[in-house]
Amino acid sequence: MTNLTLRGVTKRFGETQVVSDVDLDIPAGEMVVFVGPSGCGKSTLLRMIAGLEPVTNGRIEIDGRDVTQAEPVERGLAMVFQSYALYPHMTVRENMGFPLEMQGLAKEEIAARVQATARTLQLQDHLNRKPKALSGGQRQRVAIGRAIVRDPVAFLFDEPLSNLDAELRVQMRLEIARLHRELNATMIYVTHDQVEAMTLADRIVVLRNGRIEQVGAPLDLYDNPANAFVAGFIGSPRMNLIPATAWRDGDRVRVMLSGGELLLRIAGPMPPDGIAVQLGIRPEHMAVTGGAAVTATCEAIERLGVVSYLYGRLADGTAITSQVDQNLARTAPGADISLSADAGRALLFDISGQRIA
Amino acid sequence: MRRSLPLRLLLAVTILLFLLVIGLPFWWVISGSFKLPQEIIAREPTLVPQSFTLQHYVKLLDASAYPTYLINSLIVGAASAALTVLFAVPAAYAFFRMELPFRESIYRAILLAYAFPGVIVLIPIYGLFAQIGLVDNLLALIIVNTTFALPFSIWMMRSFLATVPRDLEEAARIDGAPTLVILRRILVPLILPGVAAVGVFAFISSWTEYLFASVLILSDDNRTVPVGFAGIIGQYQIDWGLLLAGASLAILPVVIIFSFIGRAFVSGLTDGAVK
Repeated sequence: MTNLTLRGVTKRFGETQVVSDVDLDIPAGEMVVFVGPSGCGKSTLLRMIAGLEPVTNGRIEIDGRDVTQAEPVERGLAMVFQSYALYPHMTVRENMGFPLEMQGLAKEEIAARVQATARTLQLQDHLNRKPKALSGGQRQRVAIGRAIVRDPVAFLFDEPLSNLDAELRVQMRLEIARLHRELNATMIYVTHDQVEAMTLADRIVVLRNGRIEQVGAPLDLYDNPANAFVAGFIGSPRMNLIPATAWRDGDRVRVMLSGGELLLRIAGPMPPDGIAVQLGIRPEHMAVTGGAAVTATCEAIERLGVVSYLYGRLADGTAITSQVDQNLARTAPGADISLSADAGRALLFDISGQRIA
Repeated sequence: MRRSLPLRLLLAVTILLFLLVIGLPFWWVISGSFKLPQEIIAREPTLVPQSFTLQHYVKLLDASAYPTYLINSLIVGAASAALTVLFAVPAAYAFFRMELPFRESIYRAILLAYAFPGVIVLIPIYGLFAQIGLVDNLLALIIVNTTFALPFSIWMMRSFLATVPRDLEEAARIDGAPTLVILRRILVPLILPGVAAVGVFAFISSWTEYLFASVLILSDDNRTVPVGFAGIIGQYQIDWGLLLAGASLAILPVVIIFSFIGRAFVSGLTDGAVK
């Protein structure tokens, strides 16, 4: 059980700053997921924690011990690579035994620990095979096994599932979640897939351009994004972000947008009259109604069985997505529709993307 | 891909032509070494031997110093190949991975060694070896051959190292392996084709080296095959049978080495490492 602390961690490659001033506390036993679009610095941040990338500025602490300049091995962390990085000329047994051998353990102990780990991961039958004789999922399990076997202070995962097909990815995701429960270990997991982030994380760290945009539990981020970027990044289909102007109307806010207007109840202070905003509203908080609301043109309907999503455009061309119920799922593309929104669930962001309400 | 018949014929004929161009001299040398002297110098050359004799080989191995030359050449070749591999691997790794000032410039500069013909450095090297008492010593040839094989070997080895995914090295670092262990346990096994290629290159360079062997070696006991063999020819005018037998035997070690190391050239060693 280990906690990790990042203080002002910064990374520059020449003139480009890829990670800027990151502060983060990761308590022992937590599963933290770094998520963000490609190039946001999440992998670089992980590699700095691992000790594979030197830190330009700032401090990294493991259990209060400053490891900023320490070699990877001195940090006692294990890492699972996106490419698995199995040693191709070694058998599964040798791959998993390698870190133990480097620790100078006795042969018998290595054999016993490899055996035990192989059992946890159902790899006993493959111990004498080489990586190329294994399927993608098995290779991934060997990579995880090589990390577990040495009983590290914390685990680092660098997009470990992105080379697997969709079905296997779901399965391995559950397996990693199970491992986290069983090992009760501190884990840092990097992904660009917000679904993985939502399903695995105790806390999600959303990164953009090397900065932390928001840190929080998955549903906190979903319900209460700090800005338009997080709002758009977390959730699938994405939250609608529609340019609009806001006006005060009694204790409500009247939001005028292309093709109609919505009357919203908002928490927090009233925005000034006539201010340009982005209206943020999730597809499941919209509905197709008969009455007057916002008019849009239906472009396509995605029928997923349990739910259906209607993709349309407002008069000014802004894309809009709404969840629709099954009997409306037959709306023909090209038809005009009226949409209403759950007044209590809408969010307002200013033009720069900061949350107003 | 399906090829049309004329195209396939053309390819087959071309391959056959090349095979003949490459193979015919070998056939001439080897088959000739078993012919009786009269047949070798017959006015009408025979492609298929009409006679068979081992007399040239008997003469070569019994009555000349050829076996000594062969052993000397093997010692020099094997030692040069081993030393070249031993130095080329870490040097190539340093050029490939370590952050050194002027790394790329130095890397290009080492190939500059080939811009000068060996003759130019022959005299200074002779002077140098004379001072430290290495003249007429096999060690001198080993040093020279290794020195001349190294730049290209380093260059070749680095491109082999570049085929190993970086993740493997990083995984090994995380697993706690020091650099030398990474080199020995992870990288070298994965670039065995490169190691083999460098070893064979160094061995053959040494095996065929004439210039330095002719100057740095003085006594007959220390001669290598190219120089010693040249002496045999001059000594008894031109004994063609002896010449062909000697040439056949000189090819033999190279063929044996290739047949042993051949399997190391098989690529695909990094299959299953990543993805």
